[in-house]
Amino acid sequence: MIPLIKQEVCKKRSWISEDEFLDGLAAAQSCPGPIAVNLSIYIGYHIRKGKGMAVAVLGTVLPSFISIILIAMLFTRFAEASLVRKAFHALRPAVVALIAVPLYQMSRTAGLKPGNFWFPLGIAVLVGFLNVSPVYLIVITIVYAIWQGLRMARK
Amino acid sequence: MIYLEMWFTFMKIGLFSFGGGYAILAMIRQEVVVKHPWLSASQFVDIVAISQMTPGPIAINAATFIGYQKAGILGAVLCTLGVITPSLLIMLIVTITYLKLKNQAWFKNVFSKLRLLSLGLIAAALIMLFGSVIADLFSIIVFTLSLSVTWKYKLNPFYLLLVAAGVGMLLG
Repeated sequence: MIPLIKQEVCKKRSWISEDEFLDGLAAAQSCPGPIAVNLSIYIGYHIRKGKGMAVAVLGTVLPSFISIILIAMLFTRFAEASLVRKAFHALRPAVVALIAVPLYQMSRTAGLKPGNFWFPLGIAVLVGFLNVSPVYLIVITIVYAIWQGLRMARK
Repeated sequence: MIYLEMWFTFMKIGLFSFGGGYAILAMIRQEVVVKHPWLSASQFVDIVAISQMTPGPIAINAATFIGYQKAGILGAVLCTLGVITPSLLIMLIVTITYLKLKNQAWFKNVFSKLRLLSLGLIAAALIMLFGSVIADLFSIIVFTLSLSVTWKYKLNPFYLLLVAAGVGMLLG
């Protein structure tokens, strides 16, 4: 979705420059929430402040919203049909595989090293096996990282 | 008040979903399967599958779907609004202040740590899904085949799922 957005707003319509786009992308990836929505807030605000933001967000959300509503309507009606059940029997393991593949690729961009391997591993065990809510872990991580970052800056 | 509870829950999901995409799954599952009895474990996987086959962010798709299933159109609107509410507030502030923030050491450190954390969260989602999905021989075979095909040929997820659905209808 991101290359598509870039193509539209930088190349086709030249609403913002490529540098501005990359700054926005970095910010969008850093903030909570769906990246595409965050990016549309950034771009919309850059072009036309509050109104631009509202329109851009609506534009990002509406296609998903409408298509999912349609699918949900069909799905609730046909979920019990044997053909649909059979299809999902194969879809579920395929979905798990789709989540597994990018994990390796992501481990490189996230800067995974032997020295910090314990951290994501610990998170995975706490959340995946012990059902600890990610909320606590995220709050602790943010507080610790701010403290550590401020200390590094002072040195 | 189910409406208020749903809006609040999805706002929480939006607020604590870093890293986009799959990293959000653990958070959604925690809220709608473990904490609230809104979905069963396998219904949750179904929604993930549907989200991957339709365009748009997974968090939005999941919010719309779960909202609709539990409380109709109004539920869908509320959950979707809920999931983007924190984005609207936080991203707006960051958009305005980003150029000042981006060179601060603490700001950079928070996001490099959060990137590692989302890696862990995706692994957690994987662990959770694995347990509820890979239960019989058929699932193991489909999983292994999908994994090797995606790994080797970088197949578009949409086509992989389309083929999987077809295989399921014939053999599942």
